[in-house]
Amino acid sequence: MSYYWQYGTLGALTAVGGAFVVIAFLGNRLMRPRKPRVEKATTYECGMDPVGEGWSNTHIRYYLFAFLFVIFDVESVFLFPWAVQLEKLRPQGTVLVEMIVFIGILAIGLLYAWKKKVLEWVK
Amino acid sequence: MILAATGPEIAFWGFAVVAGIAGFFVVGSRNVVHAALYLVGVLGSVGAIYIVLGAEFVGWVQILIYVGAIVVLLLFGIMLTKAPIGGVALDNNQRPVAFIVAATTFGGLTWIIWRTFGGTRIRLSPTRTAQIGNSLFTHFVLPFEAVSVLLLAALVGAIVLARRD
Amino acid sequence: MPTTLDLHAVLPEIILSGTLLAVLVVDLFLRDERKLWNSVIAMAGVLGSFWATLTLIGDHRATFNGMFVVDSFALLFKLMFLAVAALVILISANYLDEGVRSTQGEFYFLLLSSFLGMLLMASSRDFLMLFVALELVSAPGFLVAGFKKRDARSNEAAVKFFLFGVLSTAVMLFGMSLIYGVTKSTNLVAVGQALAHPAARSEPLIVASILFIVAGFGFKVSAVPFHFWAPDTYEGSPVPVAAFLSVASKAAGFAGLLQLMFVAFPHQSNVWAPGFAIMAVATMTLGNIVALAQTNIVRLLAYSSIAQAGYMLLPFAVVGGAGPAVMRQAFAASLTYILIYSFMNLGAFAVVIVVNRKRSSNLIADYDGLMSREPGLTTAMLFFLLSLAGIPPLAGFWAKFFVFSAAINGNAAWLAAVMVLNSVIGLYYYLSIGARMVLRPAEDQSRIGVPFALAAAIILLVIIVVAVGVFPDFFNHFSPRSTLVAL
Repeated sequence: MSYYWQYGTLGALTAVGGAFVVIAFLGNRLMRPRKPRVEKATTYECGMDPVGEGWSNTHIRYYLFAFLFVIFDVESVFLFPWAVQLEKLRPQGTVLVEMIVFIGILAIGLLYAWKKKVLEWVK
Repeated sequence: MILAATGPEIAFWGFAVVAGIAGFFVVGSRNVVHAALYLVGVLGSVGAIYIVLGAEFVGWVQILIYVGAIVVLLLFGIMLTKAPIGGVALDNNQRPVAFIVAATTFGGLTWIIWRTFGGTRIRLSPTRTAQIGNSLFTHFVLPFEAVSVLLLAALVGAIVLARRD
Repeated sequence: MPTTLDLHAVLPEIILSGTLLAVLVVDLFLRDERKLWNSVIAMAGVLGSFWATLTLIGDHRATFNGMFVVDSFALLFKLMFLAVAALVILISANYLDEGVRSTQGEFYFLLLSSFLGMLLMASSRDFLMLFVALELVSAPGFLVAGFKKRDARSNEAAVKFFLFGVLSTAVMLFGMSLIYGVTKSTNLVAVGQALAHPAARSEPLIVASILFIVAGFGFKVSAVPFHFWAPDTYEGSPVPVAAFLSVASKAAGFAGLLQLMFVAFPHQSNVWAPGFAIMAVATMTLGNIVALAQTNIVRLLAYSSIAQAGYMLLPFAVVGGAGPAVMRQAFAASLTYILIYSFMNLGAFAVVIVVNRKRSSNLIADYDGLMSREPGLTTAMLFFLLSLAGIPPLAGFWAKFFVFSAAINGNAAWLAAVMVLNSVIGLYYYLSIGARMVLRPAEDQSRIGVPFALAAAIILLVIIVVAVGVFPDFFNHFSPRSTLVAL
């Protein structure tokens, strides 16, 4: 049962950490005065009156980088069980080639992204 | 489905309730960004449920990929589309019908699954990452390689559609 | 425990994977004007894969732990998918070079990835492999449907296709996981044996799971009530993509359905056959009736292919509790219809692509008086339309005939009657297009000019449609030998 002891400890630690934040903010909320006014609820824009809607112009490159991250994150997830078992699996050459093929195919994707200038942050 | 020990059972039900409530707020919230953040609650609770049920690797993968990467992607998507926030911005008047359909589906599925698996008892035994690695690279090699082509297709397609030409 | 890796069995897939990677990499180093070379590389790879599939004929191999099976069913579908791939490359080459020139390479890459998924699907006898193959077929489809980035309709097509697609895939996966929970195996043959147990025959959980899985595949074949994405997606996406979706994607869905229903769930046929009857009748009727009101040729072809899917679903409806002989005949009838339909529908879309070069509105009115402008093209289109309607001596007639006789032999004469009625309705709108092309005067008398690749594809398809119509036994030779129905 050491599995559940470990995760129970982790869970308790997370709960304590969460409770810490909750109690701090709750205590603050209960103790401070609340006098809501319209001016107080407007967006802060360095002391000036806010103009326009709340959204700023997001550049597409953030989305593309996040997307590339998802793809390569999934690739790294497949690397974990492979790395753990690499020494014990037989035939070893086949297992190695399987992963090389996998990484190779995604490396071609990275090459594609590179050549299409997706990886450039500043144009 | 009754779990083998009391501690994990309580943890399972706790996380299930959290996931259910968070899920309800994902679809019920009127603010898209709030919905994305409640989604973190749902996905994190599901990851925790995986860990409680013994699928340690899958649980951490869930948190790493879903919460760590996909929710970020979702938030960037929301920022890009500058989704209107507040009031009746993203709503329609079919909420009652949707609620009835969802409740009926949930009730029906629960009854059907309980009918078949209601009396089953399982013995929890944590799965090691090594076991997953074992079966992945011996029995499930073909889906594994197919997934690499799928990931590449998704990558190329997304770049084609998203690039500023 | 080492598994047997039979590389010869996966040689077609390996060649196709190599081709798609080659297309992607070569495209990075080509200038815009030379990007048409991508289609040559793609075609070479498809032909190489076709040759590799031919070398496997006569074999029965199982590899990758029984997940990947090469038998006559798989080989027949692979050869068909590769032939369709070659034809799709032919008909889309000019469209792409004149339209989205700079992203041609990616288009061929995505198309070939989808076809790779189809090759895998034909051989998958495992839920997990079926799911991954289905995703590999669908995901590039979502992406190419939105390829005309600046066109709002193309974006709409892609979004609708995507949302419907992922929802039905999620539902299907849920059904598959429930079946796994009951039978403790994902292999189709093992599931079939586990569900043969009398207690499992009509358990509600099994029924619900089969319903979910059929919903997932019903979306792919655009059966009613999972068809709502089809007209908008076909209309909005680039016309070669509409051709690809209506033919290849649908055939892949049927490949999966045939394997699932006849290998994993044959003992539940009492449960799913009536469901398929309702689905087939609704699909045929809705497709034909709504097609009558269309003014856009691509939308009309979309509804027509929905109706054709209804005819293909009909054999599934006659096997309720039937013996192996009826099952085998129904299986062969559905398989033959899928093969014949693919070629005639591809022909019709090829003609639409030609006319689209002059008038991108795709209205039926654009086809008025086409006979005076392009007589050869019009004759070819008449062949395809009459074949779709089921007029002898063209291929479509035999396709309908085999389904009809399977229905009669399966004691479902009422289904056969419904099919005949629907064929008559279909005949009306197919013939009305033909009449407009021949009899009405043309608004714009200029010639359209058929590019070489399109002409080659159209001539080839006309030959196939006429040859199969005149010599049906040649085609019908293969389907019964490709059955999955266990003796």
